Amino acid sequence: MSIDSIIENAINSHSLAISLAGLVVYGIIIALLIFAFSYFFGWFERKLIAKVQYRHGPTYVGKYGILQNFADLVKLLAKEIIVPANANKVIIALAPVVLVALNVFIIFLIPFSPSLQASSLGLGLLFIFVILGFTPIILFMIGFASGNKFSDISAQRSVLMLISYELPMIIVVATIALFTGSYSINSLIAAQSKLPFAVIMPIGLFVFFVAMLAELERPPFDTREADSELIAGWLTDLSAPYYALSLLLDYTRMLLGGLLIAILFFGGWEGPFLPAPLWLLIKAFIIAFFITLIRVTTMRMRVDKILKLGWVWMMPLALINLVITFFLFL
Amino acid sequence: MAITKVNVGPIHPSTHGVLRLVVHLDGDTIAKVEPHIGFLHRGVEKLVETRMYMQSHPYMEKIDYMAPMSVDDLYVSTVEKAMEIEVSERAQYVRVVLLELQRIASHLFWVGSICNDLGQLFTTFMWGFRDRDMALRLLETATGQRMFYVNMRLGGLARDIPEGFGDETLKFLDYLEKRLREYEKFIEKNPIFIQRMKDIGRISRSEALDLGVTGQVLRASGVSYDVRKNNPYYVYDKLDFNPVVLQQGDNLARYRARVLEIEESIRLIRKALGKMPEGNALGMPVKLVSPPVKNRIVSVSRENPRGEEMMYMVGDPQGPYRLSIRAPTFINLSALDYMARGNRFADLFAIMGTLDLVMADVDR
Repeated sequence: MSIDSIIENAINSHSLAISLAGLVVYGIIIALLIFAFSYFFGWFERKLIAKVQYRHGPTYVGKYGILQNFADLVKLLAKEIIVPANANKVIIALAPVVLVALNVFIIFLIPFSPSLQASSLGLGLLFIFVILGFTPIILFMIGFASGNKFSDISAQRSVLMLISYELPMIIVVATIALFTGSYSINSLIAAQSKLPFAVIMPIGLFVFFVAMLAELERPPFDTREADSELIAGWLTDLSAPYYALSLLLDYTRMLLGGLLIAILFFGGWEGPFLPAPLWLLIKAFIIAFFITLIRVTTMRMRVDKILKLGWVWMMPLALINLVITFFLFL
Repeated sequence: MAITKVNVGPIHPSTHGVLRLVVHLDGDTIAKVEPHIGFLHRGVEKLVETRMYMQSHPYMEKIDYMAPMSVDDLYVSTVEKAMEIEVSERAQYVRVVLLELQRIASHLFWVGSICNDLGQLFTTFMWGFRDRDMALRLLETATGQRMFYVNMRLGGLARDIPEGFGDETLKFLDYLEKRLREYEKFIEKNPIFIQRMKDIGRISRSEALDLGVTGQVLRASGVSYDVRKNNPYYVYDKLDFNPVVLQQGDNLARYRARVLEIEESIRLIRKALGKMPEGNALGMPVKLVSPPVKNRIVSVSRENPRGEEMMYMVGDPQGPYRLSIRAPTFINLSALDYMARGNRFADLFAIMGTLDLVMADVDR
């Protein structure tokens, strides 16, 4: 059902319609998966944070408050959309939707098992990170188009984060790609069947994890939507329905981060007994759990210190990882 | 570089109430901070003039809603001084215990909220709230109210502390000491916290004196000035009290000053409970019609959790002719501009947090 095979099919047997239908079904499965993950992980995160803070978390709506997120969603969607007079209305209306769509598209491209995947693109890894690189740019656009100063500062920070954390991340990804000799995710996971890359390049894992935290706007790197200083950063002037969208975006990106780390460092769907997609999801869930634990305990770093960390520590570490990997394993 | 003016507040997640700041930013560096106050002005000083002496307690307590009892105590002390009423020894000890519990409650709230200002997701905030709530529960058993006690009376208290209050308090103090170790592990060992607090918003000893700041802001800059030590009231001189004085004068020193002050308060309460004499702690009844005002003009100062609070009163037979309050947070807020200049925008909220502002106290 891959894009390659669609083209092949289209040329050979004129059955483009059937392949397209397959892609649509797969897309619906992915969309449901993302909604389910956002919903249940959102609930789980609320419960976990409440546990850390000696609270109960949601309890009233449904058993163990399981329907609380649904109630919140209804509340948010029922509210009026207000666009500020200073804002660029087209960008404000479209950019958040495009942002969610891009992140969903990346998950769509990620294979869940040798058989369950939309494409077996030879350049899959590269493609994913190219699309991922758009996120800060779109956040910058939203912040800039909002026409208020808090969003504006947030937009500037977004660009600073882009230039200082994308580079180490891409270097680590390039190391992995060079190590396996391929940009294809399938061959990447096949290369990890004996030893996951987390063992071979722990420094790379560290750099990638930190860069991913920065990419996902998770504490301690959530300076773009720093609530104690910038109110909500790029979200300040977006109305409630868009806020609901941004929450969906948050958990989509959390799932995405978990999936990417699981695929790049923990052997993807490799694992005994359970079916392959389940293994991948379990790994992603555990990583998301750790991201949440970090979220609930740390304070926010200042933006200049984050840049310093990026350039003084993450960048050299990424290069050291590259060098070590080459001299020891190639 | 061009100066950007950013309007922060009066509705903003971390201005601790309705404070409006106009921040002049040069890039990410603060060039100037203009505080605009008055959103919570209730004219307490004027209201008090129209009431009789013992009708003003509830107004006084709302001045500093994080430590209501300390302001109430200050007001009662002012009236007591004007009328030359003696406070019985047991009442003095009980007042010291209650005031120090109130100080602990106030500081615990602050320890939580400073982490919130630094961008934590309410974790320490909730922990501080939980422990503060235990202190409040103790105060509730002693006074009958959870937050606004109205427990002070001329010459004593409205009610004496109940049976078993001492034991429960000691239990709470043991628990709190354990919790403070935990806070230390969680907060002070956190490199991000140190990075955000160390050498930020530093003021030297002479600057602190020139700015007129009091409380922990002054003591963290190396000035040993605590009303409880320099001008002792009640039984503080009998309790071997040592003010917490630190030298660095930065955010971290102000944080440590408050945490160490909690420990000092714990020691004070233990000693006060140990030395507490038997006797009558009850004060005069509320129905006090035209009391004899012996000193027409009095001024009293007290070391409140936020600094030195002072009341200046011109008394009439029925009620105060004029009451003027020196609010510590008002003076401390006026130092914010000086302290914040040259720092980063994100640090403004950390610096403002270490001033421990209560806007009701600033605006009165």
